[in-house]
Amino acid sequence: MPVSSTAPRRPLLSTAGARQFVFDPQRGPKGDVLVLVFLRGGMDGLHVVPPHGDAAYRKHRHALAVSEPGKGNGTRNLDGFFGLHPDLAPLHELYQDKQLAVVHASGSPDRTLSHFEAMQTMERGVADGNVTATGWIARHLAATTPESPTPLRAVAISDVLPKSMQGAIDATAVRSIAEYRLNVPDQWEDPFRKALGRMYATGSDLASTAGRGTLKLLTKLDRLDPAQYRPEGGAQYPEGDFGSGLKQVAQLIKADIGLEIAEVDLGGWDAHAVQIQLMVGLMQQLGKGLHALYSDLGERTKRVTVVAMSEFGRRVNENGSLGTDHGRATAMFLLGGGIRGGRVWGRWPGLEKEQLDKDGNLQVTTDYRDILGEIVDRRLGNPQVSRVFPEYEPSYLGLTA
Amino acid sequence: MRLTRTQFLGLSAAAAGTVSLSGCAALVQRYATPEVPDRVGEADADPVVWRVLNRAMFGPRPGDVERVAGVGVDAFIEEQLAPERIPEDWASSLRVGTLDTLEMDAEDARDWEMSNFPEVGKGQAAVELQQACLIRAVYSARQLQEVMMDFWSDHFNVSQLKADCSWLKTVDDRLLRKHAMGKFRDLVSASAHSPAMLFYLDNDKNRRRDAGGDGPNENYARELLELHTLGVNGGYSLKDVQEIARCFSGWGFKKGLTWKPGDFEFRAGQHDDGSKHVLGTLIPGGQGVRDGEQVIDLVCHHPSTARYLARKLCRRFVADRPDPKLVARVAGVFERTDGDIRQVLSALLHSEEFKHGGAPKLKRPVEYAVSAMRAVNANSSCAGVLPHLERMGQLPYKWTMPDGYPERPEAWAPGLLARWNFVVELVQGRLAGTSVPLDRLARATRAAEPLPVLQGLSRAVLGKAITETGIRSLVGEHMPKAFPKTEELQAWTALLLASPGFQYR
Repeated sequence: MPVSSTAPRRPLLSTAGARQFVFDPQRGPKGDVLVLVFLRGGMDGLHVVPPHGDAAYRKHRHALAVSEPGKGNGTRNLDGFFGLHPDLAPLHELYQDKQLAVVHASGSPDRTLSHFEAMQTMERGVADGNVTATGWIARHLAATTPESPTPLRAVAISDVLPKSMQGAIDATAVRSIAEYRLNVPDQWEDPFRKALGRMYATGSDLASTAGRGTLKLLTKLDRLDPAQYRPEGGAQYPEGDFGSGLKQVAQLIKADIGLEIAEVDLGGWDAHAVQIQLMVGLMQQLGKGLHALYSDLGERTKRVTVVAMSEFGRRVNENGSLGTDHGRATAMFLLGGGIRGGRVWGRWPGLEKEQLDKDGNLQVTTDYRDILGEIVDRRLGNPQVSRVFPEYEPSYLGLTA
Repeated sequence: MRLTRTQFLGLSAAAAGTVSLSGCAALVQRYATPEVPDRVGEADADPVVWRVLNRAMFGPRPGDVERVAGVGVDAFIEEQLAPERIPEDWASSLRVGTLDTLEMDAEDARDWEMSNFPEVGKGQAAVELQQACLIRAVYSARQLQEVMMDFWSDHFNVSQLKADCSWLKTVDDRLLRKHAMGKFRDLVSASAHSPAMLFYLDNDKNRRRDAGGDGPNENYARELLELHTLGVNGGYSLKDVQEIARCFSGWGFKKGLTWKPGDFEFRAGQHDDGSKHVLGTLIPGGQGVRDGEQVIDLVCHHPSTARYLARKLCRRFVADRPDPKLVARVAGVFERTDGDIRQVLSALLHSEEFKHGGAPKLKRPVEYAVSAMRAVNANSSCAGVLPHLERMGQLPYKWTMPDGYPERPEAWAPGLLARWNFVVELVQGRLAGTSVPLDRLARATRAAEPLPVLQGLSRAVLGKAITETGIRSLVGEHMPKAFPKTEELQAWTALLLASPGFQYR
């Protein structure tokens, strides 16, 4: 028998005459789009959401105490006990509209007080960051199947893939969505793309199918020139990487490219000294940024959940440099149509000396996995929470609608 | 004076005794340049030759098709099955020789890194191993061995991302290479004793319940069964996992006062020395370290292991859904030869199913990048490929889960844009430390007209000339009148490498 007659068939440039495969990369995810904002550096929960109703608050915080509600530029009252720092005023509006929830005294079991260890623990979704090397988002993606393969299932607007996404093939880190493009010389752009389009036009094999999806996505992203983008709903994103990252996430969500998870980080919260000056700009960016994203997304916020979290909070006592050192529990922000907002969740452990841990830190009364686990299950539509957060059984607070 | 390659090799060997070429990157770049043969792409490749070159190797370099056709497919397979008799290509050994940490033990690699890259702190030794992986895949003459290293590195996955594995994996890689074509039991045993694996799968922490620490740790025991030997449906119970964990309690590696990971160490004080039942066999009490050895014997000789390994190898070499008859035959060889990998591969690679059967297999990113570099005879330090592989999703030794980078093609389908961008940079010579002799390749087609040049390039990349439709797809309406300009050659080659056809092996 001649070898050639039984030789394996390979698609050459394209599989000519092949059946046209129905491929629609536009179908969105089944659950919410999750926007994760990691506040790197250890955000002081007592500064952003001061417990003005706890008499011990002012025993610990003197120079750093936020003014009481009602006074000048005072705390924006949330529930009579907690308030919101005035520089986070845009979030107060969302809280009043019951779109924003706070979980106070939340955190991880990590006791190292090391940024690296604590971030790793949270991003890997475990109690000890050394037990696994995959991120919780990666495990969530692995446990669910997108309706159609998309190169941009999870995106981090960042230089490197965050640890939460490590281990996921369908996650991408881009400094800007403008980077997700064909990297050819200008004079090639048009002919090269057309040639790819012709080569990938007809095959029914996996590569041809995926190639058509990629080319369609590129065409869509062409229209998403970040410089030309006009946010809706009067949204005004703050200047800088954080605002621009959120704006691009809004673009991607609106483009219906199958984006399920986006991460945009805001770092610099490590306020060991002159905390007030250091945090003003960060809080303004956070407040304005999330407010702008929310306004921009409009009706779509019904299917979007935003989580802003930090690796740990700060020591309850201020230090000698008008700052605070590494602590344990902090506050977490949740935003979205599916979040039962207008409420501060969690059990308050108290700030009296005997209520703090032996190092003088606010105790963690809500494990971060209780919150994320509920969101993964109830908002992202993935019941396999034990695969996402192994060796942990989250108790849901009931903060999702 | 321009040295010939032989003179250069002789000089450096005489000067250094052992060839250490640190700091000679420029010289290596010059003298390790792969040669372009006189004639390229004169005829379509024989499909079986093409299959062997793409599946038992990382794809053909110019001239390989003719060479394999010359010696004959079966003789070539035999040659590849005995890597120890193949003289190493010095394009490979010269380049690997420029890397500092490859032959170091983990502590020296760590010290080297701390003193040379204090500001980075971590990762440079790990990068050297990734670079070596690519250098060998692109340039080694022992291609089948490197294909098997790719296979075993996933099978016994250890991620450099897990803390000290950043340095321990370098040692682990040497252990795997030593047995890559040997006996399967030796591989499992080497892996079970490897500090990298002991640390990665936490057996280092596995100890008798009352011996302090966290007590028993089942992580290694479970993956040994599920991933390394019997396979997930191999017929074992949770009880077997727990009993195997008891057998391996106390298996760790030496540590000093500072960071000093040494060799394997059995800590009798942490070992659970009671009797155990593993897969229906009684392991008597009081055996100490021999418990683990006996478990390795049991699991390596279990019939499920032969089937699991046979199926996995058939998936890699033949088809995503391999013919069960072929799997059964290969498993039979595995059992009869006591897991002799060389003989198992021989049965597989000489089979009709390998040569003629199975559907096209989607290349994984490493296979794609390496085969592209080989197709165009790139001259590369391979360092510039790493960021691209990261974007494509397969940076070597970075997969964090113990199951290794996925084989299933769906996992890789979303990564095409990164592949396209890689080949464009490659052919344009924009990749760091890399040049591509496209003009020489084009001249070696011996054609003067544009179309035959294109067909020659197509044969080099895809193994055959392209059809009329293919030509129109690729060139568009405007076929140049004269011998193609460099930029045209670049665009054509990039498109051939970016085409759906080149995504498969």
